Amino acid sequence: MIQAPTFAVVGHPNKGKSSVVATLSQNDAIAIALEPGTTRKHQAYPLKVDGQTLYTLVDTPGFQRPRRVLEWLEAHSVSASDHADTVRAFVTQHQDDGRFTDECELLMPLIEGAGIIYVVDGSVPYSAEHEAEMTILRWTGRPSLALINSIGADDYSDTWQAALGQFFQVVRRFDAVRAPFEQHLGLLRAFGQLEPDWERPLEQATHYLSAQRQQRRQQAAALIARALEDMMSFQEKRTLTAGQAAGTSDGSLADQLRQDWYRHQRKREQTLRVDIEHLYQHQRIRRQEAELEWHSEHDLFSEDSRKAWAVSKRYLATAGFGAGAVSGAGIDALTFGSSLGTGALVGGLLGAAGSYFYGDRLALPALNIGVLRDGLKTATFGPVQDSQFGYVVLGRAVDHWWHISHRNHAGRELLDLEPADHHWLENLGKTSRQDIQRAFDKCRKQRPLDERQREKFTSAIERAMAVYDDWRLNRT
Amino acid sequence: MTDSPLRLLLEFDSQAQRDRSQPPTFLHRRDRKFALVCEEQGMAPDAARWLAHLNRLSGPRATPASTDRTLATWRRITAGFSAVGLIAGMLTMAGLLFYDGGQRINITVFLAFIVLHLVLALFTTLQSLTGWQPWRWLARRLGADPGHGMFSKLQPLLMARAAHLGGSAFATAGLITLLAMVVVQDLAFGWSTTLDTAAASYHGLISTVATPWAWAWPAAAPDLALVEATRFFRAGDPMANPDPALWGQWWPFVTMLWTIWVLLPRLILWSLAAVQTRQKARRLLASHPAMHALMYRMETPALDTGNSHHDADDLPDTSARSNLLPLPDSDILLCWAGAGEPELPDGLRSGKELVLRAGGSASLSDDDQTLNRISEHLKNRSKAVILLVRCWQPPTGELQDFLETARGTWPRGSRVALVPLAADSNQEPDAHQVQPWLRFAERVGSEFVQVSLPSFQMRDPYSAVGERP
Repeated sequence: MIQAPTFAVVGHPNKGKSSVVATLSQNDAIAIALEPGTTRKHQAYPLKVDGQTLYTLVDTPGFQRPRRVLEWLEAHSVSASDHADTVRAFVTQHQDDGRFTDECELLMPLIEGAGIIYVVDGSVPYSAEHEAEMTILRWTGRPSLALINSIGADDYSDTWQAALGQFFQVVRRFDAVRAPFEQHLGLLRAFGQLEPDWERPLEQATHYLSAQRQQRRQQAAALIARALEDMMSFQEKRTLTAGQAAGTSDGSLADQLRQDWYRHQRKREQTLRVDIEHLYQHQRIRRQEAELEWHSEHDLFSEDSRKAWAVSKRYLATAGFGAGAVSGAGIDALTFGSSLGTGALVGGLLGAAGSYFYGDRLALPALNIGVLRDGLKTATFGPVQDSQFGYVVLGRAVDHWWHISHRNHAGRELLDLEPADHHWLENLGKTSRQDIQRAFDKCRKQRPLDERQREKFTSAIERAMAVYDDWRLNRT
Repeated sequence: MTDSPLRLLLEFDSQAQRDRSQPPTFLHRRDRKFALVCEEQGMAPDAARWLAHLNRLSGPRATPASTDRTLATWRRITAGFSAVGLIAGMLTMAGLLFYDGGQRINITVFLAFIVLHLVLALFTTLQSLTGWQPWRWLARRLGADPGHGMFSKLQPLLMARAAHLGGSAFATAGLITLLAMVVVQDLAFGWSTTLDTAAASYHGLISTVATPWAWAWPAAAPDLALVEATRFFRAGDPMANPDPALWGQWWPFVTMLWTIWVLLPRLILWSLAAVQTRQKARRLLASHPAMHALMYRMETPALDTGNSHHDADDLPDTSARSNLLPLPDSDILLCWAGAGEPELPDGLRSGKELVLRAGGSASLSDDDQTLNRISEHLKNRSKAVILLVRCWQPPTGELQDFLETARGTWPRGSRVALVPLAADSNQEPDAHQVQPWLRFAERVGSEFVQVSLPSFQMRDPYSAVGERP
């Protein structure tokens, strides 16, 4: 059996070697810092399918003393035919030499047969001082590819491309932090072009990675569907004894219930977000502080969230009429905003938490304070009767999913979910709209979805995700 | 009879419910691994093996409590039906055979009861096949109706199975009671009807009913003479018949009537319900959405993109430094690795007696010569050397070697001021690009190396903003 190819990602310090490896291996737990010496040892990141390695990426420390290494090599070589052996001899001789630890670490995989992925930063000017390290790499005789990464905002990639072309078989541009997924696959295919034997495993790897991405989209849709089901049918319940009921006014009871209901819904949304992040192997995402600060425009119940994600009446009409739900969600939505009038009495109980919460409006019909019976009084809040809440949750979830699925694992910046400016769901097909609306209707009546309905709901959400993806791509 | 397909469906359903809270990647890894193990052992991975595999790993008594609970509830319901059937069977037969010595036991009543019973039995089967559940409230009260899920689709069949078992118990108890009564009592059977029916046509009816067993037990198929002799009228003289023994000759017919037309149909329908229950359980399992998902997970290769290694917490010290110092007076300018190319800023070049280059494309022996020249120069005049570096290139081991050699060879008290230059040398370098140089200077030894910014752009050292640790 042919041994799986190995690619050593090498280069000058701080040029984004670890970023390239992090993105391609979908590992956001690789140390990345703009400090030389962040990577101290070479580290292998194999891509395995059912435990069988298809290829291995090796992250390495950067060159620290290339001129000294080259001087040694030149001094110990007689002709071009002994270059590779001389490099091997260098490593053997200097393995325990503290000064050449980094060089030995990065040359080791190469003398063991790895292909070379040489990374440079295309956002800084080309300088001839890289030539020593490029010469050393050429001495190893391994197939090589140069990668122009971009760390900063400036672009000098043209000069780099010209200079690298003299040393490397293939030169590619690849922004480790921003490159879209298709480019990851393209780059892997380019790796496969370095040697005839490597083409097949890399082709297989790209095939599996594409399939995995497709599968993740389905799984994300199922996670979102489940969260929506939970959130749309959630009811906060409190049972008070006669004594407790006497000591609590209906107003404060309503307020307490509402706060608990809000808290639970926010928590459920956070759980969904973490689940989606973990699905895409993002374990360490730091969020905007505003995300944690609930009294902000990022809050699930804020007026801003409603504006960004609630759907139009026309949309609801097409989602509801076909579903035969005229009496249900359609009416709820059409009366949305005027429910303050019909629920004025309850509205008085809820008090003024500030007009900032659109949640106050949609939760009005959800409050139910029972009378004292058998010495017990039961008060409930939820499930929310207005399907707009579902659309807000759906919009936010799909938006978050999109950001996560397009985030590369080299990214270390905060996750910032800026609100959208146009309603994307308008492009969703009628059947999907109806499937979503039907599921919402069932949930708010606290009827469980059966497996078939759940399947339909999930695939409707998956289509909504595709619509959002299209909308995003066409927008920018 | 075992509940295995039922139990399998229940356990699978319950496992599917639990799996819903598991991360999809874990599920995929787990199930794909199981499929690969099966492939290795040459077995087809099916639901039963999969559950057995999961249960084995979870240790003994891994069966979910809900499965046992549901099955126990249905066992209780079935036992209840059987008990009621037994008692009702005895009482019904005792009632049908009630004989006080005056009135005959009417065969016509027997026939009518059996027809009624048959209709009820068929109705039970029919409603189970159509899925109609008029008794649903009862199941709910007994706690056997989960209301949703795959199992609820099996309820009509399970109920029919329980009802038919109850019916079989009823028929068996009736038969035993009948035989006991025949032995211990002198029963007088006869037939009677208000309708104007001739004995011959009644005999025709009886013969038709007795067709299934007439060939095997002729005594159980009454002949015309017996039918003619045992007709009685309520208003007639009870003792009109000359031979009282004839009244008793009906018992084999009654026994076979009960066995073939009550007990046997119930047993057949019960077996049918049992078979259908198992078949439906198998079908439901095969079409279970979680089964599709499981098969997909088993068939799709598990991909590990190489994210097992974690070292994000093992970062070098990147805390911000603020020890920028003013540019010292010096007449030596040393450009490291191409810094200051293509053009040196005037502010830096002015007043410099010695402008040298080292590092980068220069050879190591060139570097040594440069060191010597500076050493000579330092002996005479200034004590400081300005070392220009490119701020975007991080400090490397080569520069460190160079500085350490300098420290060893230059006169005591000499100092080096590292000056990072931006790509546009008239611009101030970014703070995050100066920080690695500050940390580098600290590592080499701050008594020898300091970091300064070009004098024409001196800035407040405390405003330096570095990366977050």
